[in-house]
This record gives sequence, C-alpha cells and structure tokens, in this order.
Amino acid sequence: MQTNFSLAALAVPGMQEAEKILRTCVHCGFCTATCPTYLELGDELDSPRGRIYLIKSMFEQNAPASEEVATHIDRCLTCLSCMTTCPSGVDYMHLIDKARVHVEETYWRPWHQRLPRYLLAQLLPYPRRFAALLPFARMARPLAPLMAKIPKIGQTLAAMLTLAPKEAPPKATFKGPALLIPKGVKRGRVALLGGCAQKALAPNINDAAVRVLALLGYEVVLPRGEGCCGALVQHMGDESTAREQARKLVNAIWDEHEEAELEAVIITASGCGTSIKDYGHLLAGDQAYAARAATVAGLAKDISEFLADKDLAAKIPTGQVVAYHSACSMQHGQKITEAPKTILKKLGFVVRDVPEGHICCGSAGTYNMLQPEISGRLRARKTKNIARLRPHMVATGNLGCISQISLGFDERGEKTPVVHTVELVEWALGGEKPKALVGIRSL
Amino acid sequence: MSAIAFPTPDSEILARRDALIAGLAALVPADALITSEDERRAFETDAFTAYRRMPLAVVLPRTTEEVAKVLAYCHHAKVPVIPRGAGTSLAGGAIPQEDAVVIGLSRLNRVLDIDFPNRIAHVQAGVTNLSITNAVSAEGYFFAPDPSSQLACTIGGNIGMNSGGAHCLKYGVTTNNILGVTLVLVDGTVVEIGGDAMDAPGYDYLGLVCGSEGQLGIITEAKVRILRAAEGARPVLFGFETSEQAGSAVAAIIGAGIIPVAMEFMDKPAIEICEAFAHAGYPLDVDALLIIEVEGSDEEMDAALARIVAIAKQHGVKTVKESKSAIETAAIWKGRKSAFGATGRVADYICMDGTIPTGQLPFVLRRIDEIVKGYGLRVANVFHAGDGNLHPLVLYNVNDPEEARKAEDAGNDILKLCVEVGGCLTGEHGVGIEKRDLMNHQFNREDLHEQMRIRASFDARWILNPAKVFPLDGRLAGEAA
Amino acid sequence: MKQIDTPQSEAQAIEAVASALAERTPLRITGGGTRAGLGRPVAAARGLSAAKLSGITLYEPAEMVIGAKAGTPLAEIEATLAEKGQRLPFEPMDHRAILGSTGTPTIGAVAAGNISGPRRVMAGAARDALIGVRYVNGRAEAIKNGGRVMKNVTGLDLVKFQAGAYGTLGFLTEVTFRVVPRAEQEAVLVIEGLDDARAIAAMSTALTSPYEMTGTAHLPADVAGGAARTLFRLEGFADSVSYRTRALRHMLAGFGKAETLASDVGSKAFADLRDAKPLAAEGGAIWRLSVKPSLAAQTVAQIRAQRAARVFYDWGGGLIWLATGIESEAGAGVIRAAAKAAKGYATLQRAPEEVRVTVPPFEPEAPALAALTKRIKTAADPAGIFNPGLMFAGV
Repeated sequence: MQTNFSLAALAVPGMQEAEKILRTCVHCGFCTATCPTYLELGDELDSPRGRIYLIKSMFEQNAPASEEVATHIDRCLTCLSCMTTCPSGVDYMHLIDKARVHVEETYWRPWHQRLPRYLLAQLLPYPRRFAALLPFARMARPLAPLMAKIPKIGQTLAAMLTLAPKEAPPKATFKGPALLIPKGVKRGRVALLGGCAQKALAPNINDAAVRVLALLGYEVVLPRGEGCCGALVQHMGDESTAREQARKLVNAIWDEHEEAELEAVIITASGCGTSIKDYGHLLAGDQAYAARAATVAGLAKDISEFLADKDLAAKIPTGQVVAYHSACSMQHGQKITEAPKTILKKLGFVVRDVPEGHICCGSAGTYNMLQPEISGRLRARKTKNIARLRPHMVATGNLGCISQISLGFDERGEKTPVVHTVELVEWALGGEKPKALVGIRSL
Repeated sequence: MSAIAFPTPDSEILARRDALIAGLAALVPADALITSEDERRAFETDAFTAYRRMPLAVVLPRTTEEVAKVLAYCHHAKVPVIPRGAGTSLAGGAIPQEDAVVIGLSRLNRVLDIDFPNRIAHVQAGVTNLSITNAVSAEGYFFAPDPSSQLACTIGGNIGMNSGGAHCLKYGVTTNNILGVTLVLVDGTVVEIGGDAMDAPGYDYLGLVCGSEGQLGIITEAKVRILRAAEGARPVLFGFETSEQAGSAVAAIIGAGIIPVAMEFMDKPAIEICEAFAHAGYPLDVDALLIIEVEGSDEEMDAALARIVAIAKQHGVKTVKESKSAIETAAIWKGRKSAFGATGRVADYICMDGTIPTGQLPFVLRRIDEIVKGYGLRVANVFHAGDGNLHPLVLYNVNDPEEARKAEDAGNDILKLCVEVGGCLTGEHGVGIEKRDLMNHQFNREDLHEQMRIRASFDARWILNPAKVFPLDGRLAGEAA
Repeated sequence: MKQIDTPQSEAQAIEAVASALAERTPLRITGGGTRAGLGRPVAAARGLSAAKLSGITLYEPAEMVIGAKAGTPLAEIEATLAEKGQRLPFEPMDHRAILGSTGTPTIGAVAAGNISGPRRVMAGAARDALIGVRYVNGRAEAIKNGGRVMKNVTGLDLVKFQAGAYGTLGFLTEVTFRVVPRAEQEAVLVIEGLDDARAIAAMSTALTSPYEMTGTAHLPADVAGGAARTLFRLEGFADSVSYRTRALRHMLAGFGKAETLASDVGSKAFADLRDAKPLAAEGGAIWRLSVKPSLAAQTVAQIRAQRAARVFYDWGGGLIWLATGIESEAGAGVIRAAAKAAKGYATLQRAPEEVRVTVPPFEPEAPALAALTKRIKTAADPAGIFNPGLMFAGV
C-alpha cells in the first residue's frame, strides 16, 4: 500500500519500522473476515484493515490521536487472528503496539477511562497487591450488577469485580523462589514462569505443571524476582513500563540460566508466552539487554509445546470429550495449534475443535474489563459455539480464557467445567483431579 | 498515480454537506452514520489502493428498510451513492468520490434461512461468500462460486461483479448460481427479483443485475443455489517445464471430454511467492504449474486422474503430485487463493483480470512477458486456465510515481491484447474505475450507448456508483433525469 | 402480413429495421417458425425473419464454444457438436410437438426464448450457456454484447437480458454458446408407483445426493399410461455412471426398487419429456409452472381441487407441465394463484390465439418491475417496433 510519510514523520522513533509494516499491506481485506470485532460490529473501522488505515493516516502526519482513532484502536482485542489470516505478512502486532503508545502519548483520556487503566496497571502485575485485594473483591462481587448501572464506568468496574473468583483460590503448593528436584533420574532443568495475576487467581495451574515436569524428571526452577512479563501494560500503550518489567524478568531468568543452563523457560499462560517470545524485538534497541532478551525469548516455551514430544501415557480411564479452545495468544500469537491437542489425544481424551475456533472469546488480557460490552458479546458467541459440541469439559492454555468461558457458561446456566490443559495432563498421568472437575458426576 | 480521472465533485453538493448529514442522521441510528474525517478516510478506497477519494459520509445500515430510506433520501437530494460490501474490489468498484455517500452493507451479515430439500440459502447481502459455504458444509453442501477473496468478499459484491473463482469451470459463475435478489431501486422502492423457482418469466433482471457493479440498485438479500458436495475432491499438482506445455495440456484435457472442477495455472514467480506463504508443496523446479482438481468417489477420482495424467504425460509433464490429505488439499488451495495477497510480501502489484480464448494462451503469455519487460517491470502469472481468465500481477513500487505509471500502462497494454485476441477486459473483477477508460477498446459507441440506456432506465440521474464502468465522456442520461 | 424481410446479413437486417423504423411499422420477428404460438398475438404489418441468417461462424471444441448466425437450424448445431463429441448443455426443447407447428427450430429462437430442457436442473438454462450475442436494436444499430469467452463481466450483461426477451428488445443476428462434452454414457433409473408427493421427495433426495443428476422427472399414472414413473438420469464416463447408478439405487431404496431402463428407452423417455410429449396429445391449454420444488405436489393438488388437469413434473418438481381445458380463461386465475402460493410463476405455453389475447401468457410483473420493463423497452426499442405486445401489453 502506498504511504506518504513526511521526512519529519519518518524521523520519529519507530516510524521507519511502522512504514515498512504499512507498505506490506495490500489492503485486500482478508483480515476483516476473521476479526472478532468486525464480525460483531460490522464497521470496517473496527477491523484490522480499518485500524491499519487509521494508524497510517495518524502516523503519516504525525498527528495526535483523535477520540475516534483512540476508540477504534482500544476496541482491538490484540487477538492477532488477522496475522494468521494475512497473506501479505503484515506485522499488525508491532504496528498496533506503536499505535497504542502513540495514543497514550497524544490523547488525553476522559477520567472514566484513565481510572480503570490506572487501577489495572497498578494491581494486576503485582501478585501481592492483587492477592490482598481479592477477598474484598470477592465480598463485593454480588454488587456487580448494581455497580454496572453507574454511568460510564459501571460496566468496567462490574467486570473487574466479576474477575474475582466466587470462592477463595487454593493456596499454592509450590512457591517461588525455589528449586524443585525430581526424585528419580534427572532429565533436564527448566524454569517455570510464575506469572502475576495467575499466581493469585489460580496457583493450581502451576502446581500441576510442576508435578508433571517433576514426574517427567525435570528439575524445576521457580525464579527469584521475576514479576510481570509486561504484556499487560504494553497493551495499554505503556511501552516503557513494559520494557522495565521485561528487563526484570530477563534478569531473573538470566541469573538461573547462568547458574546452570536452562533447557527451557516454561510458560503456562499463553498470553505471557506471546509477549516473552517477542522480547528480542521489545528490547532490540537496548544494547545492554538485546542479546539476553533474545536468548530468553528463544528459551520460552508453552507447556504444551514442551510436552508435545514427551512420552505420556494415561494412568486413569480417559475418553472424555474435551472441547479444546485455542487461546488467541496460543494459535495466533505463538502459532501453536496442534501440540495441545496432540497431548490430550495421546492421553486418550476425545478432542473436538470448536466451530469458529479462530475467533477470540473476548477475554484478551484486560479487554474484558475495559470493553465489557464487546467482550460479553464475544463470550456469548464463544460459549454458544463450544456448547454445540456438548463436551464434558473445555481445555485451554490461558487463564484469561478459563475465567471468560467459565463466566460464559454461568451466563448460559450450564455447568461445563473449563480447565487448563496441563491440569488434565496431570490428572491423566495419575495426579490430582482438576479442581473444576471435582464434584461433577459424569466425570 | 493519477491517470484515471474522477468526476469533478459537485460543489453544490459539497456546500450542502451539513444539511445532508443532518438529513441522514434523521434516518439511521447514530452509530450507523460516519462523518468525521479520520473515520471516513478508511472508506476512501478498496483493494485497488492506488486510487482514493474521501466520501461525504458513510452509512452502515442494518436493514433493507434503512437502505431504502437512505437511498430514497440521496435520490431525492441528487447525491451520488457508492454501495460497498467488504471493499475487496481489485478494480476500484467501491472507491467513493468526494460528493458521494457510501452505503456499506457489512452489517447485513446474517444467513436468514437454509432450505436443503430445495437447495437454497437465503442470505443478507453482507454475508461473506465463504460463510455461506460454512453455514451448509456440515450437512455436505457448498456454494459454488469461490473467488480468491471468498473469505472476505460479500455475496452482494459477488453479484455486483458476477464473481467467478477457481471452480467455475464446472459450476459456473455467480449469475449461474443465484435464484433471486432483493433489490432496492434508486428511489427506495424494494423489488424482489426471482426467488425460489427457476427461470422467472419476463426479462432476465437477475442476469442483468449480476455484474452491474452497483449501478442498478442496491442488493440487500439474495437467494443462492447451494449444491451437494461431491463425495471427495482431490487437487493434483502438475509441473511443466514450459507454459506452452501446460497450455497445450489444458486444451487436450478439455478436448478429451474431461471437465475437471478446476484447472489453475501459476508461473514460476507465482509458484515461489505462494509456496513461501502456504508451504503447499508446490514444485519449485518447474516453470509452470497446473493445479487440477477432480471430484467424486475415490474410484471416480482415480479414473479421472488416470485419464488426465495420461494426457499430461503426452504433453511432457515433469512432476505429478496428488494431495494425500485434507490438510494438504487445504494448503494447496490456500496457496492459490492467497496468491494476490502473498505477492504483497514481494512488491506492490496491480492485478489484471482479462479473459482470452484458451487457444491463445501460449501466445498471450509470451506477449505479456514482453510487454511487462518492455516497461522494465516484473510479472507473476496466476490464472484460471480452463476458462482463459488471466491474472497477471504486474509488480512495481507504488511509492515511485514513474514506476506506478509504467505499471498502469503495462496493465492497459495487456488488457488491450486480451481484447485483440478475442477476449475481454475483465472476467470476474469487474470494470470499476480501473478498466473504465478501456471500454472503448472492447465496445464501440453504439454498444456502449445501448448499455448506458438500459442502465439509465434504472437510474436516470446516474447517482448509483456513477464514476464506474462507463467512460466519463459521452454518457447518456435517462429520460426523467 | 404483407411483407416478410429475410435478411442474409447483418447489414441487410439493419436495412430492414431501418426501413420499418422510418415507417414506424411494427415487425413480427421469426426464425424457423416453430415457436410462433408462444406469447401474446403480435399485431404487425411486417415480418422480419432470421431464417436466412444461417451458418456456424465459430467452433472451437477445445475452448468449448460455438457461435452461429441466429437462423442456423438447431439440428445443424447439434450435428456439428456431436461430430466432436460435444453438445449444448441445456438440452433445448422442441416445441413442435405441443404447438403442432412445422418448420425448423433455430438457434436464435433457443436464445430468444431461453429454451431449456430436463438437464436445466443441473446444467443451467439456455441463458446460462449463452455467452455472446449480436443484434440489431430499435435504432437500427448493430449491437454486440458478451463474446466468446465464458468469464466476462465487461459492462452490463445484455446477453442474459436478450435471453428470454423473445425478440422484444432487438433482432438477434448471431449467438454464441458455451458447450460441454457429450457424456460417454447415460443411465436412466425408474421407480414405479410413487404418488406425487413421494416422487417429489425421491427426486429431492436424488438432487441433494452427491451423484449429479442430469435430469429427474415424474409422470403420474394417468400420464404415464400405467403405473406412475419417476425417472432419474445419470451421465458421465462409463465407470463413473455405473458407480453412481449403484449408489443412487441404494440411496433410493426406501422409495422402491429403481430399475435401469434400456439405454434407448431411457434416452427416448427424456427426449419425450423435454418436448412435453406426454401432454402433447391433450386438447386445450398447456401451462408451464416454475415453482419451489418441494411445493410442487400440493400446487397440483390445489389446482385439481378446482379444475381438471393432467400434469407431469420435471426438474425434480421445479417445473410442472400442466394440461387443462381452455374454459375460464384456461384456468389462469386458479393456476396462477397456486403457482404464486408455491413461490413460482405460470406461463401459458399453448392456447388458441383468442385465449392468449385475454390471458397474459407470461406471468404479469409486479408494478415496480412492470414500470421498469416499460422503460427498458423504450430505451432499447423507442419506436416499439419489435414484437410489440408479445410478452406484455404495451411492451
């Protein structure tokens, strides 16, 4: 596509890369068809092609973001479905990242947008703060419908409250920093990323991962001082904080890697995986970190990716019908499509693909809180599609999706449990039954 | 690039912009009307991005009634209207003009009814081509026309351009697969054309509307023929050392009484581009590739393939590779159908769409190569070999005005060549603005006047997609203009 | 008619039209004269015949295309195609049997009347195969539209618009059709004894199978002369036909035993259906109803509840041939109401001239379309000289 950058506009940092990305787009429109917001809203401005066009005009003129431009960019889920679809290889991810930074720098948001963004950025990446608030949120949860009626900000606040689990999350069995050594023959050494919100909301996922890895003979490192991967603030346009958090994580991993070589950095939240695998790009301009960041990015592996070639055999009767929901960060962000299904099939589960499986469930990081209306429509669309399969359970590789889809089934009045893939793996290998499956008679 | 002219915007309309927008705002909900400059800009072009014009406003109606109200209003106000589906036109069919209102059909995206016993799908105009097939594929049916952009393009746009695709060799193009449409005439009157029965008596309005490029009215619903899919389908890759060999193999296959479902051709540059994107296993050591698809039961496919392979061998085929799985089949077609977009990884391009008598294939391919080289440019060829519908992609750098001009000239020379050898300017993309000024090469004055008079019978004031199809000079208005 | 012009070239055709235009004399357009009984009677002082515009102008078997002057006998086209193992895809009907006409059917009339046969259900109508026309318009100008290639969206598709316009929009001088390979083998299966509703269901089952029916029709007992017969035709390469015959027989087992007819018997059965011969011997009027297939049987029942009629079904029920008396305007009110209820249309194919004056043979159009039709007629034929009133009064 033709571009018209002024020399001054091109001199702005990052703009040469932006121009290069824009030049690869041929404006064919294929991306519109697989964009969740376009499917729901039917407005090209809420499609990748429309956003690319808005970004192009804004960047070409180095113009401040208008309210309209900010609105349409905010509505992007960053599901990256468009990147899977795009035949021309447009690097939409890095383009929208730049646009978000530009919006944050040039657009003054109204209070009802600033407040929740501030709260989320101050809470979610920090497990201790988040965990401290959770009991209060849980108590206030019944007030969510009432809160939703507050003008402008109510729906977002309600969605934030709804994120709090109805029951107190279990206590983590394995807490970092730690080094866990398998009993039998040692086959290798890996680090397991602790994550941030997941640590507070669902420690059971990493517990399951630790036990599976240990069973397979891996020494598991829970690194010291890792913190959030930075994806959360990055998607809100705060790239400098994202870099800061990324450096911290790189340091944490690097220390362990130097102590004894890591075979992989295992991640159980595909959203974080997408972000960490891109550290090479995020920190490319930082001479002190570029090389290490690239190494860490290269070590990063989703748990399913890591388990795909391992010998796994079920120790319990399986055969349950599992609807596999591929998180966007898994299938579009990391292009991992077959590995999780291969593992589950290997363990004897009957795995079904969800119709319209390439479409986001609407969770998308903080999207469910910042764009509750669209998120709700996508949640209903997703659960409806999953329900068509009549599965015993849903498996997925990202906590955000687990919460979102569980909520969707609650809204449908159905009791279809949603679990993390690694929880099913542990269960099948003879370990603990996933919490969500406990008490369900058919299982 | 500015070789293609647009009509001078009507300053009188521009001056009334505020009043017009107020008028439109009274007809549709606020979120259905787009007026800010930032937002309108995204609608200034389609997939023919070398040309752009900002519209006066964009309306995104949700119902036939809203379309009718907006159209009636614009007609009354004498404001041009540009219908837009998914905006995937490669010919600029949906490019607006400054004094026009864009009516986007993207929100009319529901499948209304599926009638399997009668093999009819009733859909709204903004439904994408592929989603019709997706809505019926679980039951074993499909909608036959399959333009490469089928993932994104809408059925309304398909009807407007009478789209074809790879599989129309056997199943025909859009006009052969449509039973009826709901058409909003320019004054807002809603008419039903055709319907559930075959061959409505009277003039063939359905045939006329197919390929009319949004100039006769706005389609809001369609009843389309769905077909039961064959028991199986298998694409096979045939690699040849020369384009001539591939071309003669195509003629011999048809001569032997075999009509494969699809026969697609790619030359070496196209093979390389598509393989890099789709990893479909296309042979990289050949100069020409035919993708030939057969269908039926396994025995039927084996028998048909045996016949085709025997013929291909007589024409010097170098490699033959059958798809062995559904995943391979999908990759083979993904590569072919993404050819245009994937070319975007290599360079900017303009995509031509001429059709030629298939007997002229070797000659025309040679001439295309000469023409493009004569301008110092490169070309990749992808086309529907069975029906002679060519898609040379002329590669250039759009940010270099000189190269852009050359690419456009090369394209025009290619299309003139298509007409000279007995073909036509456009097989399935439509005339749009792109080929408008070449219409005089295919038609004489009387031919064009005849078409324009019929067109004006629908839209005497020429407000529907006015800058398209017919050269801007010498237009005939209708009687009641 | 005082004068009938028989031009031998397009130039002569232009001359003839120009002179009629100068005199403002309406022209009755004819070809071989076999379908003159279709439509409303035309009041025209002069005739313009395509009979001497004859000869194949283009035939490229490898491109699957044939072009011919409008007056070329259909038989000549078919013979030429047969020599190269090809044929017209849509199996055009011969109207001589039901109209009792003589003469030679021409290719131009096939185009002008959009004349198709049983294979239409799979292969499309004449209009679907018509890819190019040349004609003289009402301004005495030679017009070309379409061409010789199958895929062509260059400008408005006036090719389709001429198909089925019965010469009211111009005098066709040359037509070009897409052709297809002649099938290596044909098999016709018959199930006996089905009532109309079951037969429609059986035909729908066959048409929604993956076995590519190239024709399926039902003759109720009274018309079949004995047991009711439901016919299914498969065509293609021998190995494929034999496979699909087995598969279809299996699929239709629930409807009864499907027997394969001897090949000459099967061919003749479809040739007879094509020409509506099962009803040709009936006196009175013959209607052709195009309806939503699943509603065909109830349409017939609805009509029969009000008047005597004999019918058979083609196109899986999508086409109903119906013979009835000419009294009460040949049943137009009853029949059109029933067709409308079945989302379709009724065309009066045969009736004495006096009936065709009062009963519009073509289904009247909705007001908005009728107005459009008039505007279009005026645009193409401003003096109204081509077959005036043949399709609709005043058009």
